[in-house]
Amino acid sequence: MIADLPYVIVSALALWAIYGLLAIGISIVWSSLGMINMAHGFTFAVAGYGAWLAAQYVSDAGVVVLGAGILTGAVSGALIYAVAFLPLHDKPNFIVRSLIATLAISLLGTQALQWLFGPRVKSLPRVFGNTPLELGEIVITADKLGAVLSSTLLLGLVLLWMTRSRRGLEIRAMMQNPEGAALVGIGLRRTAMSVMAVTGALAGLASVLLSQTFFVSPGAGLQPLVKGLIVALCGGLGSIPGALLAAGLVGITEAATATWLGGQYVLMTQFGVIIGVLLIRPRGIGGLLDETRE
Amino acid sequence: MTTPVLDIRGLSAGYGPLRVLHDLDLTVHAGERIGLVGLNGHGKSTLFRAVAGLTDWQSGSVLLNGVEVGGTRSQGPGRHTHEIVRRGLALMPQGDAIFPGLTVRQHLDAGAYTRRAWRERDRRCRDILDIFPPLEKLLDVAVGKLSGGERRMVSLGRGLMADATVLLVDEPSLGLAPKIGKTVMDALMRIDLESGAMIIAEQNLSLLEGRVTRLLGMHAGRLKGGGMTALPGRHVTGVEL
Amino acid sequence: MSWRNPQLRRDPAKGPVHPHLPVGRRRWWPRLRAHGGNTWRRMRYPLTRRHVLWTRGEYNPRNLAAEVRILDKRPLWWMAGLAFLAIAPLLTDDGTILSAASIFAIYAAINLVWMLVIGTAGITSLATLAIVGAGAYGGAYLSITYDWPWWSMLPVGGAIGLVFGVIVALPAIRLEGFYYALLTLGLAELCRVYVVQSRVFGSATGGMYGAATHIPDDLSDTGQLRFAYYAAFALMLCALALYRWVDGQRLGRLLRAAPEKNEAFAEAVGIDYRRARIQVFIISSVALGVIGGFYASHFKGASPSLFSMDSLLLMLAMIVIGGIGKAEGAVVGTLIVVAIDKVFIDLGALRLILIGAVMLVSVLTTRAGLFGIQAQFRAWREKKKSERRARRQEKGGEVVPEEATEIADKQAIYHRRFDKQMRDFLKTLVTDEVVEEHRLKPLGQHSEALSRLTNYFRRGPMADKYAVFTIVPMREYRVVALSGQRGVPPRLVNDRTYHSLGDAYHAVFLLRINDLLES
Repeated sequence: MIADLPYVIVSALALWAIYGLLAIGISIVWSSLGMINMAHGFTFAVAGYGAWLAAQYVSDAGVVVLGAGILTGAVSGALIYAVAFLPLHDKPNFIVRSLIATLAISLLGTQALQWLFGPRVKSLPRVFGNTPLELGEIVITADKLGAVLSSTLLLGLVLLWMTRSRRGLEIRAMMQNPEGAALVGIGLRRTAMSVMAVTGALAGLASVLLSQTFFVSPGAGLQPLVKGLIVALCGGLGSIPGALLAAGLVGITEAATATWLGGQYVLMTQFGVIIGVLLIRPRGIGGLLDETRE
Repeated sequence: MTTPVLDIRGLSAGYGPLRVLHDLDLTVHAGERIGLVGLNGHGKSTLFRAVAGLTDWQSGSVLLNGVEVGGTRSQGPGRHTHEIVRRGLALMPQGDAIFPGLTVRQHLDAGAYTRRAWRERDRRCRDILDIFPPLEKLLDVAVGKLSGGERRMVSLGRGLMADATVLLVDEPSLGLAPKIGKTVMDALMRIDLESGAMIIAEQNLSLLEGRVTRLLGMHAGRLKGGGMTALPGRHVTGVEL
Repeated sequence: MSWRNPQLRRDPAKGPVHPHLPVGRRRWWPRLRAHGGNTWRRMRYPLTRRHVLWTRGEYNPRNLAAEVRILDKRPLWWMAGLAFLAIAPLLTDDGTILSAASIFAIYAAINLVWMLVIGTAGITSLATLAIVGAGAYGGAYLSITYDWPWWSMLPVGGAIGLVFGVIVALPAIRLEGFYYALLTLGLAELCRVYVVQSRVFGSATGGMYGAATHIPDDLSDTGQLRFAYYAAFALMLCALALYRWVDGQRLGRLLRAAPEKNEAFAEAVGIDYRRARIQVFIISSVALGVIGGFYASHFKGASPSLFSMDSLLLMLAMIVIGGIGKAEGAVVGTLIVVAIDKVFIDLGALRLILIGAVMLVSVLTTRAGLFGIQAQFRAWREKKKSERRARRQEKGGEVVPEEATEIADKQAIYHRRFDKQMRDFLKTLVTDEVVEEHRLKPLGQHSEALSRLTNYFRRGPMADKYAVFTIVPMREYRVVALSGQRGVPPRLVNDRTYHSLGDAYHAVFLLRINDLLES
């Protein structure tokens, strides 16, 4: 049992990276645009197909596949922005209507993908090669190492961009007071566009990373969406440190359960942990910003 | 004659079926400091919000530094606000449009969002601290933790950071202790307007009297007082608002 | 109601003869006949105080006839719609349509109950289908394993629903909004994974089949389909009755008074919203469980697709297309989606895309679904009207055509036109001399111009009329404006005090002149 510990830690780290990417996307979109992006899973699936197409028709070099996934994700994010955010953002009852609109996009998009590519699953080429890294007794497979490294890199870049740049100040200002942001000259629509594209790119990266172990399929977005939502929720919508912490918690739970109890109990223990967290802190771990938004 | 910094012609505005402003005319020249007095619900804030493009709908023309920024906007409130702000308008709304999670310094930086102001934001920041000295010590404190008076100063300071020619200040003394309200107002009066102009909406007449270049009254969505110059002036000599 | 011309005489040779009428005499005399309470008599449901139709008696402004107007025609539409649904299956014997019709009725029942939570209580709970599925699986399991009869599935489903109701109601007190929605979504997902993996619940066969059913098998195929439809229709009627019973009575009022984010207001007026929410959760969960039992009995089993995200999305599409918060929205939305889903079955996966597109279009363009269009259109028209009115040149109080269509009493329109002409004329009379004359002699004798002005001012409406208020007789006077409403005191106009009555009169006069010139 103890012998499995390093393996658990490694897979927990990989899961942390992927869930973190997804949850932060959802969290940032909620806090800056006030929209729950239920089409995040759709972005995820589309990015998987984008990467697959690139691998089929362009080249199956790791950089190309990753780049194609990220790019498709960003384009899909922009598409969601154009369909769900742009026409609705100044209309009454925006929160519920945008939620439903993104759900509709997700329904429509998943079915369209199935129609275009068929229900058969596709697999992506190995992006990070096959040579595992050996540290003493611990063997870390290349895809896990790559997942942790690339997502840490991208997350770091995004966090840096959020805290240092003018655009980042823009987004944080918009998170907290949209009207006030307009009053200092911040264009709501342009900022929203960039937020959606960036979070879409994050989902695209997560998609390529997760497809190293799973497959690309039209409905592939559902599980990551539910998990990303739940991690974002558990971390407190709008709080980036909270989301990272929650991603870690959920990742550890999943890795530990899968190793020691069995794969079919993963969801149950995860929900148990999340319900526990939410009952203690109804607004999630870092759920402070949420109040300020209202 | 120079172009007025703000020229409002026949402005009507409202929310949904409700019409709040009725065919309103106002011309503001550089260097003017105008007081706008009126009771609650008579359209002071709506006038400011209409100039900033935040009302539900509006018609008529608003010229800011000679550029048309008004017109009918039924596509939705707030859609053009950032463009108007970049043309040189600063609105300090009622009840402080602040970002509770950002620090005072970040606030002031956010105020200098326009491209030119961003480059010289440190110099401007020092100017603001001269106007509102109490903020000096609070620069790295999150604004959500400040008191009402300090928040008001941050809100006003943020408005001043931008490169604005027209400053619209909505009820600077609202909800503050009388003494603090007076301090805030004194600070506003000290600001050197140079080529800009300032309109202060206020319910408390005594805070404005004798300290502004012009005093306008607002009643039921219409301007009274200085706005009446358009009418033959002979019979209104005895009337005060 | 009849019209009689008192001066009209009939000449036997020439027909009616119009006499020269005396000046100032009305020509037609309306004769109001007593209506004996007919206009306010209303039908009630027996043994209750509830009215069948919301009506109002009024006099038609055109001919002054006493009329009864139905203000809310929805009950009539409901009766017509339900009557159609009752006879529709007799008109066709197409198997596809008949089975689609029973699915419609069951889904409509589920949506009606769901609407209690999502519409009346305003809580986005997505565990609805999970409860239905749990009820269906429980009923089917007992029926298959222990051979229980079909009717036992309903109470079994209800009991399972009760348990689930308690489980989902408890976090609803503490969590809010999306946190709750996502938690219930997670619950549904959990159920799906459990059912798919559990051997007892048929992970191998993809569902549990072979449960008892209420549909008699000695009928013909069409007969069985019709029987199934009428049973499902009865279920829908029960759900509708439940909806009316909860939504239209005390519990519904309490819940609608305490929507999310406004709980504090409701609590401040003494509404125990937590209790009301738990009640509605438990009522709706039990009802959903019973529907689940019926579902198992109807389909002779249950399948894990009940828990899937796609069916949840379909249900949501039904509610959204119809309009959240309205029973008719739930039923018509279900009708539309089931029609697309089952009738265009040849389209394959495309029909889900079609449903998604309809859902997207409806949420992008309407505020509250199909049944919110009317209100939305009215609000939009009001806004446009208001804008257009503002854009026109100021008419000085005269009624503009857009407004005139809404004013029932046409006399008001002419009165305002007259008033405008009057004021335009009076404005020309205002001169410095007149003002000076009034200052010297506020109470007269006045010149003609001045007396025309003062006469006009005297006639003004009481609301906002200026008046002199005596603080200390002979020494202190203030100018006030009357409220025009009984019991509402006048308000002070300015902070000036006048020391003689004449000054005060003159101040009032100046204010009125000022208002006149500005109008």
